[in-house]
Amino acid sequence: MNIADGTQVASHIQHDKPRGLARWLFATNHKDIGTLYLWFSFAMFISGGVMALGIRAELFSPGLQFWQPELFNQLTTLHGLVMVFGAIMPAFTGLANWMLPLMIGAPDMAFARMNNWSFWLLPPAALLLMISFWVPGGAAAAGWTLYAPLSTQGGMGTDLTIFAIHILGVSSIMGAINIVVTVLNLRAPGMTLMKMPMFAWASLITAYLIIAVMPVLAGVVTMVLTDRHFGTHFFNAAGGGDPVMYQHIFWFFGHPEVYIMALPAFGIVSQVIPTFARKPLFGYTSMVYATSSIAILSFMVWAHHMFTTGMPATAQLFFMYATMLIAVPTGVKVFNWVATMWEGAMTFETPMLFAIGFVMLFTIGGLSGVILSVAAVDIQLQDTYYVVAHFHYVLVAGALFSLFSAVYYWFPKMTGKMYSEKLGQLHFWWSLVWFNITFFPMHFLGLAGMPRRIPDYALQFTDFNAIASVGAFMFGFGQLIFFYNMVRSIRHGQPAPQKPWEGANTLEWAIATPAPYHSFVVAPQLEVGDNGVILEMKGGEHH
Amino acid sequence: MRDNRILLKKLLLIACLMFGFAWALIPMYRVICEVTGINRVVKADAAPAAGSSIAPGVPVKLVFDANVQAGLPWQVKPLVRSMMARTGEFVRVDYEITNASNRRVVGQAIPRYLPAAAGPYVHKLDCFCFKEQAFAPGETRRFPVVFVVSRELPAELSELTLAYTVFDVPGKVAS
Repeated sequence: MNIADGTQVASHIQHDKPRGLARWLFATNHKDIGTLYLWFSFAMFISGGVMALGIRAELFSPGLQFWQPELFNQLTTLHGLVMVFGAIMPAFTGLANWMLPLMIGAPDMAFARMNNWSFWLLPPAALLLMISFWVPGGAAAAGWTLYAPLSTQGGMGTDLTIFAIHILGVSSIMGAINIVVTVLNLRAPGMTLMKMPMFAWASLITAYLIIAVMPVLAGVVTMVLTDRHFGTHFFNAAGGGDPVMYQHIFWFFGHPEVYIMALPAFGIVSQVIPTFARKPLFGYTSMVYATSSIAILSFMVWAHHMFTTGMPATAQLFFMYATMLIAVPTGVKVFNWVATMWEGAMTFETPMLFAIGFVMLFTIGGLSGVILSVAAVDIQLQDTYYVVAHFHYVLVAGALFSLFSAVYYWFPKMTGKMYSEKLGQLHFWWSLVWFNITFFPMHFLGLAGMPRRIPDYALQFTDFNAIASVGAFMFGFGQLIFFYNMVRSIRHGQPAPQKPWEGANTLEWAIATPAPYHSFVVAPQLEVGDNGVILEMKGGEHH
Repeated sequence: MRDNRILLKKLLLIACLMFGFAWALIPMYRVICEVTGINRVVKADAAPAAGSSIAPGVPVKLVFDANVQAGLPWQVKPLVRSMMARTGEFVRVDYEITNASNRRVVGQAIPRYLPAAAGPYVHKLDCFCFKEQAFAPGETRRFPVVFVVSRELPAELSELTLAYTVFDVPGKVAS
């Protein structure tokens, strides 16, 4: 059977490349939609970054310099929401859109029209978030977690945020359904589940997590909405509700969400490190099982975000031990990456640099996570800058670095051009240094007791805050290097060979560069090794 | 294509069920907390078992005392040194406190029970030790202490002493 018959795009697929605005507005091609996702998330990354710089500018010195506390709280809230739902999640969905069909030999994503919807829902949601700054009362200011009772009291900015979350939720659920169906139903013959690339595994498991928990977030913010406007008392203690209940439901979503932002990163570095170490991924099967067990465990640890809510000691102990348990499969992954590099013939092109940076810094973030998992310690560190340092190590040096790694790694395949290696390496070292200057001092601030989400602070915190603010501005400006490199290379880059990386051996490198607009119209016959390594390929025509 | 549709429907069903699950969590948490009792942070006093009569009051000797640490400007004395009372009945006793210095000071009284085991059985209704007290230079004031000695007082505690120590609160000046 021609596998293209198995998708909705069968009739479109023979068409030429559409042109102009219509190409993007009515896009059904997975590569076009992937490109849209990636540019959208870059725009959101810049917007959220500007908010972060607003926060760091205010915190450069004690006292109130630039913003009133209300606006400062709005900045921290929107920075979190924009980065999580606007930058990181769409970037991973975009990469999955671009690369999954190429990596598993599918002609396109399973539901091409739905794919278009799931992207085009994002800009209106982002718009709702952005315009909420200018409505009476300003944007939501309850923190990205939108804790009740703060969120049940805010102005209409909170309503806009709730609607934006509904739309983002629908978008990411549709995107996730597309990924699950594509990976489960559209793999080329020979690309079996236990052979497919780790990136496909990570995307599949992440998609399942999204389908399972985004509806829970939609449910809980709907309860906030009905509490605000329709007289319910889910979280209103005066009406018999319970504000702590909000935290329980939110974090039932929130902790799997952490892994929604981490697992695809694990998938990316599991492709990049074997390529540049020129060795097969160490312990492929254990990687698959480690990823799955992290996903399952992520449903059982939510209350470690709530150690100070007056939980009984029994519950604290349960969630503490369950959380520590996650360090085991995560450790398996880190050791597997290190073992993959061990005695490998490594070269250090930009994707590999970002991947190694990921492994080192993510591990630091993981270890501070283990420290925070100890209930007795967490009670001291809850809502301090130690937590801020911890989750920026896993989200900036984790998720974001893996995204940079992925974009540099697949840039030649996507565009047919080489990026500037010199600028790429500058981008990496610049980001690495200033990232650490920004976030490492926050550990000390947190241990000394500086609370997060506060626009002013006691004088003894001044020095470390000044260092962090300088680091943040330099880190932010460094991202312009990346932007310049991308735009310039797309226009004037050297033509890329089909296989720009010597050690690359998964399916996307077996086809022409740039990847043809309609690839794998006829499914290839494959013989595949662990982690999607192509041993033999027959057929697989494209237009 | 049919396979894709079936899988799509299944996944959509999971999403809808999880949306419902968010709402179901509200009663679920309540039931789990009630069944396991893990959320009973505030415990209601156990009601006396039906049919049990209230124990009759027994006599108890009360001794009142007060002391001041060296160097502090207070004179504190109870107007009654000791008295007999019955458990379960209101007892009122007055203390007289003088600020012997020529400055305005704020004092805080700290109670002490002898034997210490008697502490939980003394239920105070009013006491000057509940809050800080401000004094003008040389001012003398009388303060009441109203309390009940619980009927559950163990029989071996037939005599108990209530003693106060008064400290001045540093950094606070009476206005």
